[in-house]
Amino acid sequence: MRVLVVEDETDLADAVARGLRREGYAVDVAYDGDDALDKAAVNAYDVVCLDLNLPGTDGIEVVRQLRTAGDARPVPRVLMLTARDRPVDRVTGLDEGADDYLVKPFDFDELKARVRALLRRDAGRSGALLRVGDLDLDTARHQALRGGRALPLTPKEFALLRYFMSRPGQVLSQEDLLEHVWDEHADPFTNTVRVTVMTLRRKLADAGDDQPIETVVGRGYRLREGS
Amino acid sequence: MKPPGAFDHRLPEWMRSIRFRYTLMYSAVLFGLGALVVGGLYLILSRSLRGEPNPSTLCRYGTCMDVFTVNQFRELVHTRTLEKLRMYSFDALAVLFVASLGVGWVIAGRVLAPIGRITAVAREIQATDLSRRIKLYGPDDELKQLADTFDAMLARLDAAFAAQQQFVADASHELRNPLAIIRTNVDVALADPRADPEDLRNAFSVVRRASDRMARLVDDMLALARRQAPEVHNEPVDLGVVVAEASEEFVAPAETRGIVLDRAIAPGVTVIGDRDALKRAVANLLENAVRLAPAGSRVRLALGSEKGMAWVAVSDEGPGIRPEDQPKVFDRFWRADKARSRADGGTGLGLAIVKEIAESHGGEVQLQSRVGVGSTFAIWLPVAAPAAGPPVRVGPPGARALASPSAPAPERLQRPDDFSRP
Repeated sequence: MRVLVVEDETDLADAVARGLRREGYAVDVAYDGDDALDKAAVNAYDVVCLDLNLPGTDGIEVVRQLRTAGDARPVPRVLMLTARDRPVDRVTGLDEGADDYLVKPFDFDELKARVRALLRRDAGRSGALLRVGDLDLDTARHQALRGGRALPLTPKEFALLRYFMSRPGQVLSQEDLLEHVWDEHADPFTNTVRVTVMTLRRKLADAGDDQPIETVVGRGYRLREGS
Repeated sequence: MKPPGAFDHRLPEWMRSIRFRYTLMYSAVLFGLGALVVGGLYLILSRSLRGEPNPSTLCRYGTCMDVFTVNQFRELVHTRTLEKLRMYSFDALAVLFVASLGVGWVIAGRVLAPIGRITAVAREIQATDLSRRIKLYGPDDELKQLADTFDAMLARLDAAFAAQQQFVADASHELRNPLAIIRTNVDVALADPRADPEDLRNAFSVVRRASDRMARLVDDMLALARRQAPEVHNEPVDLGVVVAEASEEFVAPAETRGIVLDRAIAPGVTVIGDRDALKRAVANLLENAVRLAPAGSRVRLALGSEKGMAWVAVSDEGPGIRPEDQPKVFDRFWRADKARSRADGGTGLGLAIVKEIAESHGGEVQLQSRVGVGSTFAIWLPVAAPAAGPPVRVGPPGARALASPSAPAPERLQRPDDFSRP
């Protein structure tokens, strides 16, 4: 799950990014609206945490442009962060296409919960728990279980499994995984994706009888549905 | 003893109204006038007539009868007519009284209708909706003037209220950002069980920066609010001393940044005002100049007086302010470069405070700036008393700073007269 944090207060942007990274998200940071639009044009973000009051291109304009980008890529979910608490400010943002908002100063746990909620909207689920076959993922508590046994996953492996479990049955290419699970600092020419998938698969196999993540030769990986 | 008005409250509302009193007065006056006219006529008529004539008795053939002469008979007729006149007059006066009550009630209603409208609108206007106006139509009479005065007052209130709300919104915005920084950094640091001392130290220094920013903001906002409060110390202030003191604080920061601070302070310029506030105004101008001027440039501070006005000018060789931004620089929370100014510690209130201080001293602030050349800020203040000595003449250094080849001839910029005088 890839997140873009757009915030001109660098101290705030960096803290949010640090906190979200620890949750296993791949997080990029933009300090102004133009930078945000540039990054959104290059990378496929699942969620954008967007400050409304930005120098240069302001937040409302960024939302508008994200909505009307018009290419095949799905529009990211937008969580507005705003220091203005008048309803009119939030209404404008929501009307322009933001999905949710938080008024500063916010509780970081709440920010995490709202990001999770926005990601669930994509997955078409309504709880913090994901279940595919004998796999259970508690995105709030950061726990992964296979057949009731806890899996000792690193944050990256957890993020990878979460992405697989939000798209069960879909073939996901290495590029897809790199784009949604790793941030912009990942080197696309390393085999980091392959290595992480490998360690994840080993841990999954250790905890159960079979291997839920299949290799689709030449195309990528797939999490078996209802295994 | 009954308090005044206590009796009034026992009357029904319509009897307490101006309309009722007006009607009563109207009919009383009309009735009185009518009675006067009728009474006067009656008196005049009855004076011109003698009393009832005495008939002479004429007896003949055993019968007697009263005999009037023709004149007597005429007088008798007059007397009877007079009696009838009196009777009808009373009736007419009674009718007149009743009619005048009705007419008075209606007329009073019509005359007082605009007041009713003014009251109704005023009652509807809530503190949060000052956009409504009475907008009374009709001739330009006293009531229209009253309504227009109300409207003008509402417009002023509306503007003041809107400005206040804007300030509160801006202030909350400015305070929420550092609060969010503090809270998020603390949350993130606390939630990390493996945070090492270095991470925590970083979080602490971020919190420290944010809280410094909040402290400066609160200081500046309080300074603004205090300027708007009525109690201000007014005393004769030697502006030269104030300017010198204010500039002392900036000698060291200027040196660290490699900026030369020139001072040309004319002695003996005295104004009436608040010493601390004036010092703060000068300090704010200097702070901006020292903060924004490029390293190695010159910041000039000068004080002088001319034609009953004292001026303090601060000029820099900084980036200058674009013409379209110049009217905005004195607005609260306006920043030329938001991110940079914040990083430098600017609150966006410094120049608003300068303006507030200058205006509360009966003066004003002015700005002359050219992009790429520099800016000169000047505070004009009325001097306390006519200068005893010869007029002090020190050109504001900003003039020279601006006298680049592309600028107008230096003599044009020699004095701050170049600004439109307050």
